Amino acid sequence: MDSVEKLLQAVTDGDETVAAEAAQEIIDGGIDPREPIAKLTEAMRILGKQFEDFDIFLPEMIMAADAMTAAMRIFEPVLLASGKSEKKGVIVLGSAPGDMHEIGKNIVKTVLTTAGFHVVDLGKNVQVMDFINKAEEVRADIIGVSSLMTTTMPGASDVLKLLSDKGLRDKYKVIVGGAPTNGEWANRIGADGWSGSASDAVLLANRLLEAR
Amino acid sequence: MAVRLWDAMERAQTGPYMEADHFIKKQFMPTIKNVVKKYGIKYDRTQPVPSDGDLADKIWQAAVELFLTVGIYNQDTHRIIHFSEAELKEALYAAPSEYIVGANHDQRRFGYRAVESRTRPFVIMSPDITYDEELFFSSCLAYFKEPLLDGICSPLLGNFMGRPMTAHFPLELGGAMHHAMTLRETARLAGRPDVFFVAVGTAESDVGQISVSNDQWGIRAGDGRLCGAITEFMTNNELLNKAVHYQQMGSHCGILPGAIYGGYAGGAEGTSVLQTAYHLQGLMVYGAQFTQSFPFHLQYGTNTGREMLWIVSTFSQAVARNSHLVICSNCFANAGPMTDMLFYEGAAHAIASVVSGNNLWTCAPCRNKLHNYGTPLEARFAAEAAHAAVEQGMTRKEANEVCNRLLALYEDKIPIDNYGKPYQEAYDVLKCEPRPEFLDLFYRTKETVAKTGVKFLY
Repeated sequence: MDSVEKLLQAVTDGDETVAAEAAQEIIDGGIDPREPIAKLTEAMRILGKQFEDFDIFLPEMIMAADAMTAAMRIFEPVLLASGKSEKKGVIVLGSAPGDMHEIGKNIVKTVLTTAGFHVVDLGKNVQVMDFINKAEEVRADIIGVSSLMTTTMPGASDVLKLLSDKGLRDKYKVIVGGAPTNGEWANRIGADGWSGSASDAVLLANRLLEAR
Repeated sequence: MAVRLWDAMERAQTGPYMEADHFIKKQFMPTIKNVVKKYGIKYDRTQPVPSDGDLADKIWQAAVELFLTVGIYNQDTHRIIHFSEAELKEALYAAPSEYIVGANHDQRRFGYRAVESRTRPFVIMSPDITYDEELFFSSCLAYFKEPLLDGICSPLLGNFMGRPMTAHFPLELGGAMHHAMTLRETARLAGRPDVFFVAVGTAESDVGQISVSNDQWGIRAGDGRLCGAITEFMTNNELLNKAVHYQQMGSHCGILPGAIYGGYAGGAEGTSVLQTAYHLQGLMVYGAQFTQSFPFHLQYGTNTGREMLWIVSTFSQAVARNSHLVICSNCFANAGPMTDMLFYEGAAHAIASVVSGNNLWTCAPCRNKLHNYGTPLEARFAAEAAHAAVEQGMTRKEANEVCNRLLALYEDKIPIDNYGKPYQEAYDVLKCEPRPEFLDLFYRTKETVAKTGVKFLY
């Protein structure tokens, strides 16, 4: 098994240690990391489909994503040094103010990360101003707000209002989601997009960035 | 239980330190995978209601091992709350097997039920969804008109004085008070002033909950209160505040946990183990008097699919065979009011629950997503199916056959949006009663469900 195959197997198995080892072997062997990264992205796409079909579950998906992240930590300095780094975009993500639930947001984060986005996860119960301050700090392209409770849905609307009041609304695309939410509500509050699943969130983020 | 309660609070501050990510990935996920493998727990899609007591016992043993090994994580202090096996055994032994709830002619027994018990299930009714302010009074009153209602959680308020409810904001306190007052008022108008409330779902925060504790106009000391469990095996200071308040009040505190099929617990096996273990979290961390379980499917947010009925049945059997805890099983359905599918889903969930030793909480339609989409009539249907199953002495084997027949009527439609009609179109809002065409559907669907083997009582 060559080092690229070893890396793919390690990611599929969710083995962070072996994935990092294989990535280092690839660098040491003088292989351009863009080739294994393309294969990794395809492998993650397949795993994502299996997750969507409930052939695998969240633990397998998370472990694979962590293994891929371990490999990317080895590849990224090399890509940056060579000017070949290709992050799709930066997304600031968090649960709405007052919302203590994270699993849906964490799934979206995992899938967006493996699709090539740089995701800055602010965690749960994120205050409206913190979404905006972090977006400014990391020069985000997209702000994502997750709500699991009907009573925390107004928090997403508050992010949009404060962006407008600060004159920053056109600077960011804002996407919303969460169990009690739907597209009609997202339209009503003026969000740029809504998705009902993690895989749709990737399509949505891609579409919004292409349209910029 | 107060001494144990304060022990738990102390551990929530002083237990072993760990980051949340590490807790989930390095503690929770590998341990649940290990216990499922160690105890040889296997999901069988042909058996939505398994008759295998040994399987239920293995799920219980796995849940105990998971709970004692992993502990419960406090998100605010980053500390893990651990208990010893002896402490757990003591609490399981000491826990009452029944509570007398409500008062006067609304007094009922809310208690333990064995697997295949002939004891009537305790039925709590609630759509678990928000309603418009102007429909709230009518919808609450409509629920109190249900004859098989033993307790109520009631609709939730989506707005207060024309403003959207916002968690952790003064509007939440106003909405929570409005909710409690309306519930109390409508209970009296319906002639059931002392029904057991589990309330108020409108309030998310600890402050919101504490603000409605009032024996005159609000939630009385002996009513039911809920304390959530954050995914997975987590709590936080706010939930602990609620637990302490409820225990000091003398309330009947229920833990409100929903293990996620496809989530950190993995497939059906891990989800059933986790849902079982949540009963131990409630008992040990919150001092809970009951557990109100709503395991749900990651994609749909519901628990009426084939794998979900298996989870509902097996965790119920696991707890009922190995403890005398008071438990309740909450239905989350895919379809909406004025569809036959919602009746089928509610009946399947109710039968799987009560034959497996659980009580019933029914039901949240439309994947718990749509404002105003819920009526008491689907709760009536599920309650009648539950009572019928118990009165006819339905065994798990028979329940399995019935559930398979019911699943054949709806499981291929689960991925399809089938949301029916909102309360104001399904009900006469002034009279608080179902419209004739809805009642007609109710009776026609009863005939269909009767053919699957359910001997309705009337």
